[in-house]
Amino acid sequence: MTSNEIPTHTLRTIALIGNPNCGKTTLFNTLTGLRHKVGNYPGVTVEKKEGTIRVGASDVTLLDLPGTYSLSANSPDEQIVSDVLFGRIAGTPVPDLIIFVADATNLERNLYLLSQIVDLSVPVVVALNMIDLVAASGLEIDTAMLEQEFGVAFIPMIANNGTGVDRLLSSLSAAVPQAAGLRRWPLPEPVQREHKELVSLLVSNERLTEPAAFHEAQLLLSASEVPTLPWRELTEETRSHLRQDHENLDRIGIKRHSVFVESRYRWIRSVYKKSVIHTAERKRQTLSDSIDAVLTHRVWGFVVFFALMAVMFQTIFTWANYPMELIGSGFEMLAGLASQIIPPGDLQSLVANGIIGGVGAVVTFLPQILFLFLFLGLLEDTGYMARAAFIMDRLMSTVGLHGKSFIPLLSSFACAIPGIMATRTIENPRDRLVTILVAPLMSCSARLPVFALLIASFVPDITVFGFLSLPAIVLISMYLLGLGSALLTARLLKSTLLKGPTPPFIMELPTYRMPSLRNTIIHMWERSVLFLKNAGTIILGVSIILWFLATYPKMESGSPSERLAHSYVGQAGQFIEPVLRPLGFDWKIGIGIISSVLQREVFVGTLGTIYNIENADEENSTLREQMLRDVNPATGAPTFTLLTAICIMVYYVLAMQCLSTVAVVRRETNGWKWPAFQFIYMTLLAYAGTFLTYRIGTWIIS
Amino acid sequence: MPEMTMRTLAEIPAGSTVTVSHLDSHPDTCNRLREIGFCENAEIRCVSNKSSQLICEVCNTRVGLNYSTANAIIVLPVQG
Repeated sequence: MTSNEIPTHTLRTIALIGNPNCGKTTLFNTLTGLRHKVGNYPGVTVEKKEGTIRVGASDVTLLDLPGTYSLSANSPDEQIVSDVLFGRIAGTPVPDLIIFVADATNLERNLYLLSQIVDLSVPVVVALNMIDLVAASGLEIDTAMLEQEFGVAFIPMIANNGTGVDRLLSSLSAAVPQAAGLRRWPLPEPVQREHKELVSLLVSNERLTEPAAFHEAQLLLSASEVPTLPWRELTEETRSHLRQDHENLDRIGIKRHSVFVESRYRWIRSVYKKSVIHTAERKRQTLSDSIDAVLTHRVWGFVVFFALMAVMFQTIFTWANYPMELIGSGFEMLAGLASQIIPPGDLQSLVANGIIGGVGAVVTFLPQILFLFLFLGLLEDTGYMARAAFIMDRLMSTVGLHGKSFIPLLSSFACAIPGIMATRTIENPRDRLVTILVAPLMSCSARLPVFALLIASFVPDITVFGFLSLPAIVLISMYLLGLGSALLTARLLKSTLLKGPTPPFIMELPTYRMPSLRNTIIHMWERSVLFLKNAGTIILGVSIILWFLATYPKMESGSPSERLAHSYVGQAGQFIEPVLRPLGFDWKIGIGIISSVLQREVFVGTLGTIYNIENADEENSTLREQMLRDVNPATGAPTFTLLTAICIMVYYVLAMQCLSTVAVVRRETNGWKWPAFQFIYMTLLAYAGTFLTYRIGTWIIS
Repeated sequence: MPEMTMRTLAEIPAGSTVTVSHLDSHPDTCNRLREIGFCENAEIRCVSNKSSQLICEVCNTRVGLNYSTANAIIVLPVQG
């Protein structure tokens, strides 16, 4: 070790930085395995993800920062990167070292961000990822030349299969910081002079560190007018100096907006030409070109998209059935076992009916949720998701949004929370807000247990068009209802409350790739842990409380149904029944709706608990069978019909039954105004939509 | 440079290669375009251009744009 090397014991935090789609998250997963805090988002990486890696003899924190094209932040997502690097986030230390992940097949653009990072005077190691694809692209990279030009180590690697990871880890302890202010890209002389002076002024007057001043001075000089730094006011001396700088440069015809980007690119292009050799003539028509010709076609693109969605939902419904039945019978056995071990009484009822019944009803749906995440993960990993956003830009522009809003919406099929966080990639604040407000209308995985239970119970399993089953069609319809309502609401918001022009659309379409099995499995593992944690905490708690409320006050005589109606739950349900009757719902459904305001899938657990208590005298039967048998004691008519089932599903598509989403919207919009607006409009929309469905359905039946 | 050879990227047929002459839009949009690779003098290959959208290749990356964005990129035919 030379005197310049950083001993590993002083390495505490390493940050992973790179362009979007450079394989940064794959490398993060390869390096940390399962030793990281849940970063369970199949969409774009939007949150700070933290893991632990072993470097030498010490454990070091590894931060996975969002993908960005540059340090001059255009979106809240990119802002996080510069905020972390300049130490502006409380509780997150400035990284001691940066692993810069570069896509080797697309080096020129990646080097732009690298040159900005090198300017920060932090030790940097470059992970030259996807090196296996370089030869196939007809390129050859001279890493020694790159190392000489940038003054940092370039480690060729394949993050997908772990090639080069050992070399990367051993190179971390040898990385040295570049001397502050060692800029390798030349600026026109007058710009260089003004920039240098401004850097000194920012260091002395604004108390910035030299690297931060170096970066901020570029932003300040390229700005249209004298701005304030984003996080504090400038002193008057700096402001007047800056005004003078602007005047001086404008007078001699310097294009201040572009001079820094252009100068940097000019240097990068010269380095690129020296270090990347084109060994073969580029094919006129590559495989990606041929695939894109179909997948982004104005007709075939949509056909393929809807076909993929149809296959996805059909598969979720059919393949997941076997493991679901297995889990279901497992819980039935467990409930039977509990009844044998625990003597009859309240404790037996609590364990067998309350806890096992409630939690079991929800956990059964784990396989369907895993399949959903498997599909979304594969679409993202192959590069298809960006194409979907591209073809959807035409559709989205009709509602005043652009294709970028489509990825958060598609991610919201899994869960609105990562979907809402993925809106951080949207540059325009107004469009970002509209996307946040409509994202929870997309049918998330928490609705799946509700849909699945009702469809399996009440929609006849017949085949339509020779290959699609009616249950799958109903399921797709629910997803389309969510999508349609989201688009219509967005249109309405963009033409009223949040009026504004459609923003420019620029979207990188990454090269098609084979998805990584390891990455997909990690996604699914993280999802299962999160889902089971939920089932073990919130749903367990709600099940116990519900069991209590549905068992007490006790009635000495009477049928199980009468006893349930007499309980606290029964009384509360009957109290709200008049509001729900126009929707065709009885008090038991009402209890389900109230208890699931916290989380949608609680509805299934609630019905599980209620029916288990009501039918405790009977032999074990599934929730589905119990719902099919249930009749209204007053009229003798069945409580659940096909129409009721559809009405409940419509209600769940449109209503905001998720407090976690409300909390995330509050955090992302910095206040209660928008989440309150969202909760109210969605509840009203759900009531109106369900009422209409019930009325139209009743009219058709009669 | 003769004025008549300048066109916006939206007018370029699929299969052609051009270079960026300059950008003409809001400074924020221009900077975003530059950072993603549409910098002055950058070479662009137009992969497809239809239905008010185009896909092109810049810095070896494929990028999708709509016409309002492509109209901000003023291009010249490749010399030689």
